[in-house]
Amino acid sequence: MKTFPFIYNQPKEFLNFLQPKEWADFLLGELNPRFSVTTTKAKVIDIKEETADAKTFVLKPNWLWKGFLSGQHVPVTVEIAGRRVTRFYSLSSHPNEKYLQITVKRQKGGLVSNFLNQNTKKGDILDLGEASGEFVLSKELPKELLLLAGGSGITPIHSILKDLQALNYNGKVTLLYFVRSVDDIILKSSIDLLEKNNQWLTVQYILSDVPKEGYVSGFLTKEILDQYVPNLKSTSVYVCGPSPMQTKALSLLEGLPVKSELFLLPGQNLTNVKKEGTVDVYLSLSHKTIQVKGERSILDELEEQGIYPQSGCRMGICHTCVCKKQAGSVTDLSNGEKSQLGEENIQICVSRAESNLELEL
Amino acid sequence: MRTISKKLNKEEIEAFGKEVDSLREEVMAKVGKEDADHIRFIYKTYRYTEVLGRGLIHFSFEPISFVAGTLLLSISKIINNMELGHNVLHGQYDWMNDPKFNSRTFEWDIVCNAHQWKFYHNYMHHTYTNVLNKDHDYGYNFTRLTEGQKWKPVHLTQPFTNLFLALNFQWGIGAHGYRVEYLETPKKLRKKKTLKDYKAVFFKKIELQMLKDYILFPALAGLNFPKVILGNLLANLIRNLWTYAVIFCGHFTENAESFTTEEIAGETKAQWYLRQLKGSSNLEGNNLFYTMTGHLSHQIEHHMFPDMPAKRYREVAPRLKEICAKYGQHYNTGSFVKQFGSVWKRIIAYSFPDHIANKVMGKRKKYLEPSIVLSQPSFQVSLPTEEKTISLT
Ligand code: FES
Repeated sequence: MKTFPFIYNQPKEFLNFLQPKEWADFLLGELNPRFSVTTTKAKVIDIKEETADAKTFVLKPNWLWKGFLSGQHVPVTVEIAGRRVTRFYSLSSHPNEKYLQITVKRQKGGLVSNFLNQNTKKGDILDLGEASGEFVLSKELPKELLLLAGGSGITPIHSILKDLQALNYNGKVTLLYFVRSVDDIILKSSIDLLEKNNQWLTVQYILSDVPKEGYVSGFLTKEILDQYVPNLKSTSVYVCGPSPMQTKALSLLEGLPVKSELFLLPGQNLTNVKKEGTVDVYLSLSHKTIQVKGERSILDELEEQGIYPQSGCRMGICHTCVCKKQAGSVTDLSNGEKSQLGEENIQICVSRAESNLELEL
Repeated sequence: MRTISKKLNKEEIEAFGKEVDSLREEVMAKVGKEDADHIRFIYKTYRYTEVLGRGLIHFSFEPISFVAGTLLLSISKIINNMELGHNVLHGQYDWMNDPKFNSRTFEWDIVCNAHQWKFYHNYMHHTYTNVLNKDHDYGYNFTRLTEGQKWKPVHLTQPFTNLFLALNFQWGIGAHGYRVEYLETPKKLRKKKTLKDYKAVFFKKIELQMLKDYILFPALAGLNFPKVILGNLLANLIRNLWTYAVIFCGHFTENAESFTTEEIAGETKAQWYLRQLKGSSNLEGNNLFYTMTGHLSHQIEHHMFPDMPAKRYREVAPRLKEICAKYGQHYNTGSFVKQFGSVWKRIIAYSFPDHIANKVMGKRKKYLEPSIVLSQPSFQVSLPTEEKTISLT
């Protein structure tokens, strides 16, 4: 018996077997729902209405919260109809502030953004993950900065602005904030205050859909860029907003150092694939064969048939959904690349079935 | 084996299957918060009963609190195995996306490894329910329950071996698991993953369980350790007896039918439903009883919808019963005492050769008529190309 005595060889595993963490979590959770030794949980201590369809949630995290950098995002998990669902939101507050803050705009058809706006009350508990993301200021601050925000893309930029203020920045920053109408401007009072207090900051709201007197209207174009940022060449750029705006920005700013962050609803990164017929997916742990079309992510297609593998962000970031593919080929939806046929780990939320598959599920 | 159900033709079977399917769809559409709250409540109960039970055993100085502690610990273990473990491992709560209730990550308080169990229970037993030589749960390798199994003198001992099994049920389940995994490995592959490897998984789990119940917790009681050992032993024993009783009632009552591999070749989904119905039997009781059996009181519903959150079986049952009545199908149900009695009648009867067994059991037809062969099965139970020889004794 090569495992015997098992405890002697792997005392750690025996400890895990006793579930000390589960016990601690359970008992702490009974004392206070925010307490845990495994999950960063945060209590909603305040909710501010930003616009008709966006709210800011002020969160008090537990002791597991490790902090963040301005511009980073955090996975937020809520329970909707008994089911845990995760989405990423940028932190709009500054790391030095006592409480965290996320600002969530309702997306059309967005499950979590709508739920948060509609159902979340003061005192509710949200599960957070660890903050991450590259959309942060570089160590050496550039002399000139152009920030392009679109819609709810303002949230990480708001945090970055606060960070610049805290760092006593003395260069020049231009913020162009594209929104549909005046009423859609998120975090307006805070941004205005930042502008008032900081010489280095110029803010320009640009209304794309509903013009209003005293405001500039228009879209992101070369003219607008030239108008507000005459010496583009020496400028660092940060872009955060919906994907059409990003594409436009990237093409206009070619050759410049651009950092961009794109927030997609899960499933939005899918190419439109139409397929004839089905492929077989064999789930080797549950001994089931399922027919899928191979048009959308494997995760989506399995869930449609009542099979629920573990998942998190559903956009390829968190690796909760990783599973071993034993045979067959998939296409990575984020870059359209086709995989090898052999054994490898895949993220089923961003993989589409290409041929018959064998998954360890 | 005798069937008391009306024999249906091909169209009738398919129509029956359709009605069952739409019942399933309707109920599954309702699954949500209520079910999540239920399993969380169960989880809480399991944790609290364990803390309280172990606490009472530990700090008891007189018999009453010791007995109370032991009972609470038994209840905790029963809940952990039945309403929580069994159902979670069936994937009934996978949709919650919570690792606590996910069939991939769950491990339970029993000497049987969850992963091995899923193979022979979720897959083998639930696919090949009551199919001789395929369903390894049928009689657990040594109990003869039908004429389809050849009588041997050793079967005369089966009332005693069953009693022994009842007392040690978790060991039976565990030891059974790795063997099935081995037997079901294609012969060619057996060398790579030998019986020994499968056994090692089982032994590892045994070691963990034994350390926990009989070394770690007793050690915490210092010189009082014999009391803790006794409490754990009793709790495991009570859980064993209870699970044995409930599980044997699920498939081995007098009127639960058995099948042959030939009968199920090319089976459609509807025929599969029908087989689940004929091979299973229910227990009647109150809601507390249902929960303590992990809703295996609703074995029929469980076998038709193994991945439906178990509490839903309560609302499915009356409607399924109606469908069965409409198609003239026997819906095997009764009180715990009645069903358990009939299980033992059957165990004792078939310990004797057929002519005696038949007298005890009444006149019985040998098997169901072979089921209708359909041209294009939409749902297939695949059979191994080369028949394996698995001896049942
Ligand atoms: S669910 Fe997060 S990577 Fe797939």
